Amino acid sequence: MHRQIVRRAGAERETLWVLLAAGLILATATAAVGLRPAPEAEAAPAAHQIDSRTALTAAEQGLHADLKMAAAEIAVQIADEIAALREADGKSKGRAPSPAELAAQALPPFAADASAAARGGHAWTLVEAGGTVAYAGLSADPGKAGSLLLLLDRHGDGDGHGPGIWLKRAAEAPPARLDETSLAAAGWKRITSTFTAGVTR
Amino acid sequence: MSLSLNRRRFLAATLTAGVLPAGAGAAAERKRFGITLHPYYSYVANIVGDRAEVVPIIPAGFNPHAYEPRPEDIQRIGSLDAIVLNGIGHDDFAGRMIAASSKPGLPVVEANADVPLLPAAGSMTQSAARGAGKVVNPHSFLSITGSVLQVATIARELGRLDPANADAYTANARTYSRRLRQLRADALGRLASAGDTRLRVATIHGAYDYLLREFGLEVSAVVEPAHGIEPSPAQLAETIATMRRLDVQVIFSELNFPSAYVETIRRETGIRLYSFSHISHGDYAADRFEREMTRNMDTLVQAMLEAKP
Repeated sequence: MHRQIVRRAGAERETLWVLLAAGLILATATAAVGLRPAPEAEAAPAAHQIDSRTALTAAEQGLHADLKMAAAEIAVQIADEIAALREADGKSKGRAPSPAELAAQALPPFAADASAAARGGHAWTLVEAGGTVAYAGLSADPGKAGSLLLLLDRHGDGDGHGPGIWLKRAAEAPPARLDETSLAAAGWKRITSTFTAGVTR
Repeated sequence: MSLSLNRRRFLAATLTAGVLPAGAGAAAERKRFGITLHPYYSYVANIVGDRAEVVPIIPAGFNPHAYEPRPEDIQRIGSLDAIVLNGIGHDDFAGRMIAASSKPGLPVVEANADVPLLPAAGSMTQSAARGAGKVVNPHSFLSITGSVLQVATIARELGRLDPANADAYTANARTYSRRLRQLRADALGRLASAGDTRLRVATIHGAYDYLLREFGLEVSAVVEPAHGIEPSPAQLAETIATMRRLDVQVIFSELNFPSAYVETIRRETGIRLYSFSHISHGDYAADRFEREMTRNMDTLVQAMLEAKP
C-alpha cells in the first residue's frame, strides 16, 4: 500500500524562511555598522579649556566675541604708538591703552554702557606682568557671566593662537603669574572656538 | 569675407580707441571679487574701495533662503579672481556653483574663520546640533562685532590675493570697522538712561542671536523649526504655548519676508511685535549694511525702551 504524507496547507515553512532571512539581514547590518564606526569626533577640549559655542552663557558668548574684536583693535593701537614713538625719539616701547581710554573710545566690552551692565557689570583693569599685557574683568554677577581675562599676543613672540581669552566663574582676579600653567592651576579656563569650513555644504 | 574683414577692422578700431587708454592704467589690473549676500557686498565694497570690483553672483531680488543656482549666475563665477563666502550655512549653493563653473579652483575667502560662532537656532536644529555639535547659526553678519571680525578676515585674505593693494585694504577695513562700532555705541548710548533693560525675547527667524547678545539679551524662543522653514500648525501651537509660559515680552519678526502665521502669533499672544531687516533684499550697495543695521538697532532700542514697565 502506497502511503504519502501530505503536508497540510499553512505558512510555517515560509514564516521560518522569512524569519531566517530577516535575522540574516539584521546580523549583516549589525556587523557592518559595528565594523565601520563613524570617525571619532574631534578630541574633547582639555580640562583647562572651554568651548565658546556650547559651554558659555549668552552673556559670556557676547563678551568673548567683543574681547576678540577689542584685542585686534588694541594691538593696532599699540603698533601705531610704537610707530609714532619711533618717529619722535627713536624708542620703540608701545604703551597699552588703559581700560578707561578704551571705554572713552566706546570700545566694547570696556565701555560702561547698557550692555556692560546687562552682561555681568565687569570692572576692567590693565595687568602688565613680565612683558605680558592683559586686561582682567572682574565680574559683578558670576551667575550671568564669569570673570574674564584677555591675554594679548605678545609682540613678535606670540604663540600663533592669537589673543588668549580666559574665564573663571567667580568674582576673582587672575593669579599673579599669567602663564597657561598658573592660570589652569588657579581654575581658569581658556575659551576656544572652532571653525569647520563648509560643514553644511 | 569682406564683411568679416570689416568687422575685424571695426573691432580693432574700437579696441584701440576705447580700451587701450584705460587698459594702460590701473583699471586693467583691477581684481574681481565675488560675493553671495548683501552684507558681504557692503563689507567688500568698503574694503576695496575703487581698487577692485565687487561682483554679486546672485542678482538682486532673490531670497537667499530659497535661491537655486541659475546657469547665467554660474557663468559669472568664471570671470572672478576670488569669492568671499559666509561659508557656514547661508550660501551653501555657492560651493556647488563654484564646482560647476569654469573655475572650480577659485580662491575662497571664508569670512567667518575668526568669528566665535553660535549654535543654530530653532527647535529642530537644536537637537540636531546637539548630536553633531557642528551646525552653527549662519547669521554672524547680522551683528556689529561679527561684522568687524569678518571685515578684518576678508581684508587680510584679499590683501594676500592682491598684495599690491593689501595696505589700502587694511586701512579701509579699519576705517569701516570704526564706523560700524560707532553705530553700536550710538544705539547703546540711547539706552544709557534706561536703567535695567532686561527683556524676554522671541524671534520668528533664528537670525538675531548675534545682534541680541551684543545688547546683553537672550532669545527665549524661535518660531521657525529650522532655518527658513515655516512651522506646521502643531509646531505653531506649541510655540505659542511656550511664549505664554516664558512670559515673552517682545517678538522680533522679519521685514520683507512677511508670513501669514506671524499675525496669528500676534493675535493669540498679544505680544508686541517688531521687525528686523535680514539685509537680504533690494539692490547691492556699499552703504546698505550700515543703513539697515542702524535701522535694526533703532528698532531694538525702541523695543527695549517701550517694554520697560
